[in-house]
Amino acid sequence: MRRGWRWGWIAPPVLLIAFVAGASIGETPIPAHTVLTVLANKLFGAAFAVDRIDAGIVWNYRLSRAVVAACCGAGLALAGVVLQALLRNALADPYLLGISAGASTGAVAVAVAGVGGGMVSLSAGAFIGAAAAFVLVAALARAAGGGAGVQAAGVIVLAGIAGSQLFNALTTFVIAKSANAEQARGIMFWLLGNLSGVRWPDAWLAVPAALLAVAVCIYHIRTLDAFTFGADSAASLGIAVRRCQALLIGVTALVTAIMVSLVGSIGFVGLVIPHAMRFVVGVRHGLLVPASALAGAVFLIASDIISRIVIPGQVLPIGVITALVGAPVFALILVRGRAGR
Amino acid sequence: MKLTADGVSWQAGATLIVQSVSLAVGAGETFGLVGPNGSGKSTLLKMLAGIRAPSSGRILLGDEPIGAISRRRVAQTIALVEQLADTIDRITVRDAVELGRTPWLSALSPWSVRDEEAVADALRAVGMERLATRSWHTLSGGERQRVHIARALAQEPSILILDEPTNHLDIHHQLSILALIARLPVTTIVALHDLNQAMACDRVGIMDGGRLVAVGPPREVLSTERIETTFAVRATICVDPSDGAHLLRFHGTP
Ligand SMILES: Nc1ncnc2c1ncn2[C@@H]1O[C@H](COP(=O)(O)OP(=O)(O)OP(=O)(O)O)[C@@H](O)[C@H]1O
Ligand SMILES: [Mg+2]
Repeated sequence: MRRGWRWGWIAPPVLLIAFVAGASIGETPIPAHTVLTVLANKLFGAAFAVDRIDAGIVWNYRLSRAVVAACCGAGLALAGVVLQALLRNALADPYLLGISAGASTGAVAVAVAGVGGGMVSLSAGAFIGAAAAFVLVAALARAAGGGAGVQAAGVIVLAGIAGSQLFNALTTFVIAKSANAEQARGIMFWLLGNLSGVRWPDAWLAVPAALLAVAVCIYHIRTLDAFTFGADSAASLGIAVRRCQALLIGVTALVTAIMVSLVGSIGFVGLVIPHAMRFVVGVRHGLLVPASALAGAVFLIASDIISRIVIPGQVLPIGVITALVGAPVFALILVRGRAGR
Repeated sequence: MKLTADGVSWQAGATLIVQSVSLAVGAGETFGLVGPNGSGKSTLLKMLAGIRAPSSGRILLGDEPIGAISRRRVAQTIALVEQLADTIDRITVRDAVELGRTPWLSALSPWSVRDEEAVADALRAVGMERLATRSWHTLSGGERQRVHIARALAQEPSILILDEPTNHLDIHHQLSILALIARLPVTTIVALHDLNQAMACDRVGIMDGGRLVAVGPPREVLSTERIETTFAVRATICVDPSDGAHLLRFHGTP
């Protein structure tokens, strides 16, 4: 923690470069200086001359999208950091544990089947689904003999698969029962993770959610460190284990749910980013938390750019890109986990 | 500071693992806990450290029930070295020892020179200062044990609870850790398997089947009859001619 803050200056320029890249690269390339001009006009009230259509694309479509992508990336990466620290499990991730699947079910139930009669928002539905999925998967892993170590890592992933399958089946059932064909196609596309529909109002939900995740994690840096040797050890170091677990996992589920309700379930971010960052900055959370938040933000902006340009004229779901990167990393962790012991 | 167990029990499902144990350990005392595998030593130590709530009875730290004190304040007083604590994280020795400072840190009292010194002193006390930058995963079993002890020392507790701290240690480090514990001006409760090491404690308690069956000075408690009933081995007491100390020699039952 005492070593961390001197690297803080890296974040603003890196984020700025990522946002500018996110706003300029696409089917209609827009030069970076145009993007910067639009930014100056919008943020600082400058009055530089700029093409109206370009300005519209940059501000209304691409920047809002980049902001939401960054928030999702940061939020999901921190969700991975928290789950890996608290569950003492290298493979813990909101997607693999079925939390994203549960959130999808909740969101779809609200959006399509009208559960809650318009009284609950999409995000609230997603949160209830996410929390239910976590409780179910945790209980299943516990009953199957969880704990720490390689074997438990396997158990929790198996429980996560079971949970994901169940909630995905429920989602499909809800769609089949309540949605018409066109709705169903839209939802299926959204479920794979998709930022095409994102506009500024979405950012007003994504930004506070990401800031909440960052703030709660930074406040709990020592708590996350204290779990290094397990929950009993954390307790003997003065951590109120139950309360911290409930708070941290609750925030994780909430942030995952909000992100899923905005962009669908984007997999593997919570797995890839924290592991990559451990290589770069080490395992102590004083550096790992800010580094993961930043890298997650950049990773999702980059994935979004790639998803837009890889097949000309067509938008690939962003979840496909993150899975193409994430699945090999997942395999690598499995192999290394074996060799390391 | 005084630590008291007042009729504590702990059960898993319907099985009583620890049964109404009462015990008071006074300030500065070194208390040894011995007993066969599965007799409930680790469970009792966890309750004494306040990280496992008894299913009945209570633990008092000073005069207060331990459950009524904040976790943080308990951790400023009691440090626990667990029997088998391992990690999947690639931390260094120094990282592990720095964790001991957790109960003393907060937003208002961030990491300081004072913490740096406590960590350095703790590393020196267990002879690990030269391995401070080594990765945890490269350490031998005994070295890991010494790091755990250093973490507990860095916590600067007034009560130190150790669960089989000499496991994995070579004879030199066994003796130096035990001498260190004896030298520290703190209350110590230590689970041991070596009955001759228990002989050096101020008092010894014997656990058998979840009950504390005997408590007292080691020479009284570790009698040949008691050892035979509890551990199912025959023992003879030998006297070291150099200092008159009592030694136990064991003979397996045929
Ligand atoms: N959570 C639990 N659920 C069920 N049984 C448990 C649990 N924890 C401990 N036990 C059982 O309680 C008994 C006492 O365990 P404990 O670890 O306290 O023994 P111990 O005296 O420390 O043994 P050892 O000398 O092997 O360290 C054991 O039989 C153990 O299997
Ligand atoms: Mg034990």
